[in-house]
Amino acid sequence: MNSFITTDELLLIAPEISMVILATLVIILDLVIKNKSILNFVASFGLLVPIALSFNLLDGTSQFAFAGALRVDYFGVFFKIITLFATLITILISEKYSKKFDDYQGEYYALILISASGMMLLASSVEFITIYIALELSALPLAALITFIRIRSSAESGIKFMVLSALSSAILLYGMVLVYGFTGTTYIEDLSQIINRSLINSELTFGGGALLLGVILITCGFAFKISSAPFHMWAPDVYEGAPTPITAFLSVASKAAGFAVILRIVYSSFSNEQIGMDWSVLIATLSAISMTLGNLIAIQQTNIKRLFAYSTIAQAGYIMVGLAALSSLDGGQDNAGPAGILFYLFGYLLTNFAAFTVITLVSINTNSDSISSYSGLLKRSRLLTLIMTISMISLIGLPPSVGFMAKIYIFGSAMDTGLQWLAIFGVLNSVVSAFYYLKIVKIMLIDENENSEKIQLTTNMSLAGLSCVFGIVILGIFPGSIIEVAHRAVESII
Amino acid sequence: MVDQFNWILTIAIFFPIIGGISLLLIPQKEYIKIFAILFGTIEFILCSYIFLFQFTNGIGGPVLVDLNSTWFPTNIFNVQYYLGVDGISAPFVLLTGLLGLISIFASWNLSNDHRIREHFMWLLILQGAVVGVFTSLDFFMFFIFWELELIPMYFLISIWGSGRKHYSAMKFVIFTILGSAFMLVGVLGIYFSTDSFNMIELPEKLATAKLIIPASVLFLLTIIGFAVKLPVFPLHTWLPDAHTDAPTAASVMLAGVLLKMGGYGMLRVSASMFPNELHQFAWILALLGTINIIYGAVITIRQTDLKRLIAYSSVSHMGFVLLGLSAASGAGVSIGITGASMQMFTHGTITGLLFLSIGFIYDRTHTRYIPDLSGLAQNTPFLATGLIIAGLASLGLPATSGFIAEITIFLGAFQTWPIFTTISAFGVVLTAGYVLWMIQRSLFQHKLEKFNTLTDASIGEMFPIIVLVISIIGIGIFPSIISDMFSLGLQPIISNLQAIN
Amino acid sequence: MTIIHFQFLSAILFSLGLYGVLARRSAVLILMSIELMLNAVNINLIGFVAFRGFGQEIQTFGQVLIIFVITIAAAELALAIAIILRIYRNKNSVNVDEMNILKG
Repeated sequence: MNSFITTDELLLIAPEISMVILATLVIILDLVIKNKSILNFVASFGLLVPIALSFNLLDGTSQFAFAGALRVDYFGVFFKIITLFATLITILISEKYSKKFDDYQGEYYALILISASGMMLLASSVEFITIYIALELSALPLAALITFIRIRSSAESGIKFMVLSALSSAILLYGMVLVYGFTGTTYIEDLSQIINRSLINSELTFGGGALLLGVILITCGFAFKISSAPFHMWAPDVYEGAPTPITAFLSVASKAAGFAVILRIVYSSFSNEQIGMDWSVLIATLSAISMTLGNLIAIQQTNIKRLFAYSTIAQAGYIMVGLAALSSLDGGQDNAGPAGILFYLFGYLLTNFAAFTVITLVSINTNSDSISSYSGLLKRSRLLTLIMTISMISLIGLPPSVGFMAKIYIFGSAMDTGLQWLAIFGVLNSVVSAFYYLKIVKIMLIDENENSEKIQLTTNMSLAGLSCVFGIVILGIFPGSIIEVAHRAVESII
Repeated sequence: MVDQFNWILTIAIFFPIIGGISLLLIPQKEYIKIFAILFGTIEFILCSYIFLFQFTNGIGGPVLVDLNSTWFPTNIFNVQYYLGVDGISAPFVLLTGLLGLISIFASWNLSNDHRIREHFMWLLILQGAVVGVFTSLDFFMFFIFWELELIPMYFLISIWGSGRKHYSAMKFVIFTILGSAFMLVGVLGIYFSTDSFNMIELPEKLATAKLIIPASVLFLLTIIGFAVKLPVFPLHTWLPDAHTDAPTAASVMLAGVLLKMGGYGMLRVSASMFPNELHQFAWILALLGTINIIYGAVITIRQTDLKRLIAYSSVSHMGFVLLGLSAASGAGVSIGITGASMQMFTHGTITGLLFLSIGFIYDRTHTRYIPDLSGLAQNTPFLATGLIIAGLASLGLPATSGFIAEITIFLGAFQTWPIFTTISAFGVVLTAGYVLWMIQRSLFQHKLEKFNTLTDASIGEMFPIIVLVISIIGIGIFPSIISDMFSLGLQPIISNLQAIN
Repeated sequence: MTIIHFQFLSAILFSLGLYGVLARRSAVLILMSIELMLNAVNINLIGFVAFRGFGQEIQTFGQVLIIFVITIAAAELALAIAIILRIYRNKNSVNVDEMNILKG
């Protein structure tokens, strides 16, 4: 293997490099410039560079870099773009919020950018050491960001996130080491070959219990990332204490990156029919538990961020339906499950950020995250009410929204692979979720509030919110293009 | 099938939706009603054109087809943009156009500062969505419109309703979503068995396809969604609440059109795609239909709220639809199913008129509690006449459309289910009881002093009442206007069922 | 010494660490337990590299991973200690049971 870094390889990670450069630039500007509001502008406009560079990589070819540690393919770039959009919107909606951080605004934006660069790296890593480093690169800045507000709850959230993310990465590492020790490889692709070979030679599946344990530990490690049951306990506390834009970032970008790696591992390692079936049952069970638990607990919440934390656990459950559909391979249509995951994640990106645009603004205005502070929102800002309502419609999964299409697509993939019971579970859960999402709509539109002071939107905020809403509706009516892109992305990792 | 576009149906669906949204842009509130009526009238003309086109040019298959298969990547998910009307759907499109316009008139008394823009916006969007349900020939699109209709209805009830409006609106939404959740699984099951959403081709494909879920399960999954909407006995509890608390316009749409979506779905999906299962489960339909009729009627008698009374009478009347459908397993299949369709259409106009008159009366008296009303006929003779005509049609007086529908259903069902039909016939007696009693208590008897100041219907209120009365009596005298069309559209279903018998 | 000894030691350390994370009440002790888990990983790695009989190149992977684990663990710890310090300044305690503003 080539031990020198070539220019071509650098070009392949140009988006990540430009992110880090942008982060550095923001920090330097923070030092020299007194007017901090320019930082938001620089960070958001600067993001156009990595976005452009990523689209430039979207040429359909798969290239390896750094001795095969990174695989820059359509799939990876798709996730990079999801992460970049998430970062962009996070920064846009941070505009007013970051005023809370006084002198630390530069660090705030820089940390977001660095964490995002870790997630982008994660999306194209195909080797365990790289995965581990990218994971930590994304998690450590997040822990700092969660602690950013100078109140006790924020610090508590931070330490909880920190401990649990360290714990999950220790478990992940232990799994990786077992896999390395028993197969002598750290590459996902080799791993799949070894597993397949052991199946063909009718040795023990996975070549023994230790390897199986390793793979299970790795999966557990990532289950933390995507906040799926039974590793979901951290989400509500962390979401509640974190700065609101960071909560949004956590719930979308961090989750997407986790799914990217899981998809890569599952797709290459368990695509064999024999093991696929076993894993399918396991993942389907976790998915059913996740959505039921998330939805049932969300009903009782009175804090909007906690509600969204549980809703995000439920959403993770829905997305895992696609994962289960992937592994079961029971005569299913080509790649509907994993493509559904990509489609769903993209829709979730738009939907959740639309909601969090509103949540951020309301929390700045009322200094409260309780659901009752949304009463009479219609009188205070029509635009915000519109954004939130459409986002809720999409989260329930009613037309015409991307949530509806994505849900049907992902449940369809489950039906197709013989997981009818999971599809039924999923649709029933959507009914349950309608309770608490509609409750928010009702509070906004109908309840009265003595505080009828108008909420002012900044250009950035309305840009972020409206573009999300626009995306939700357009993709809800014409989802064809994104489905095709998702299928292309999935085909590129085979 | 080749891609083609006649645009009429597409316009009929999206014109009210876009028109409704554009109401938000009109700055002067005084013009909102005028524009809403304008949009409603245009939509009514479009729907009438669709009906007349089918009436004159009707063939066995769908006409006015809009088909575009490039909407989705069909190799991945075979969804088409496929609209068309045939004999089954054309009358319902007309009904939607008619009641849509009438529901706009029903909001005549809504004051300008009561969120009037949104009110008409949601009404028009609702109308577009319902036209979408009736004209979609792609199962996926059908499902989209089926769900789309929920959002406007939720807002209509929970913002402009009365009483426990939030509770009722939520109950309505949860029940319907629950039903459609099962339906979705059924739809996906059908799709992955046949690789097609095409409702015209599906009956044929399903007969030969290798199903991933047993056909009887698919049948039950889909019919649950329709049963909630119709509503069928154990799933009917949302209906009285929703109707009672909804504003008049929403009640008219809900009772007049939305319930028919359930019956239409049973015809379009359950009867045409699963004839064997319908045959097999017909006894359940007959049983539930009878329960609906009798239970609904008994409950109705003891209602004291005018709207609630009409709501429960809807439950009773929708039982007739089920009874008609249950004739599928016997010799009376042709008459029974045609009767069921007729009943849906006529019930739409009759209940529309009932809710409309009651809504206008409520606007004046501010009470719907029957013991508080008395002798209204002397102050508001026009409204009272409307209510009486609707009531008489509702109890099935000859020369009104209600009579035709019920008599055909009995004729059809009696051949297969003589006992159930005989029991159901008592429902008619009960209906006569509650309707006449209601009319007597609220319109006649001694005149109350507090109602002396009441004025009779204004021009804007008279118009919808007159239109509905004409349609009720017109169909009562010339039933063949719609019954011929229904028989034409139902022909393939009926011949399928007859083949099984 | 064989690979089994390393495996055994590592598994015991890892389990002890996991127990510590779940059972300890002091945030500092929890961090130490996590360190223990990470070191268990390292010991396991050393065992594999030294006794599994991998080729030169494959051995390198393991050694590289050890270096990274140590480095990142240090970074993780620094950050965690900083957060714990902030909590300590706030209320003079690092007991996780008292971190109850957020209902768990």
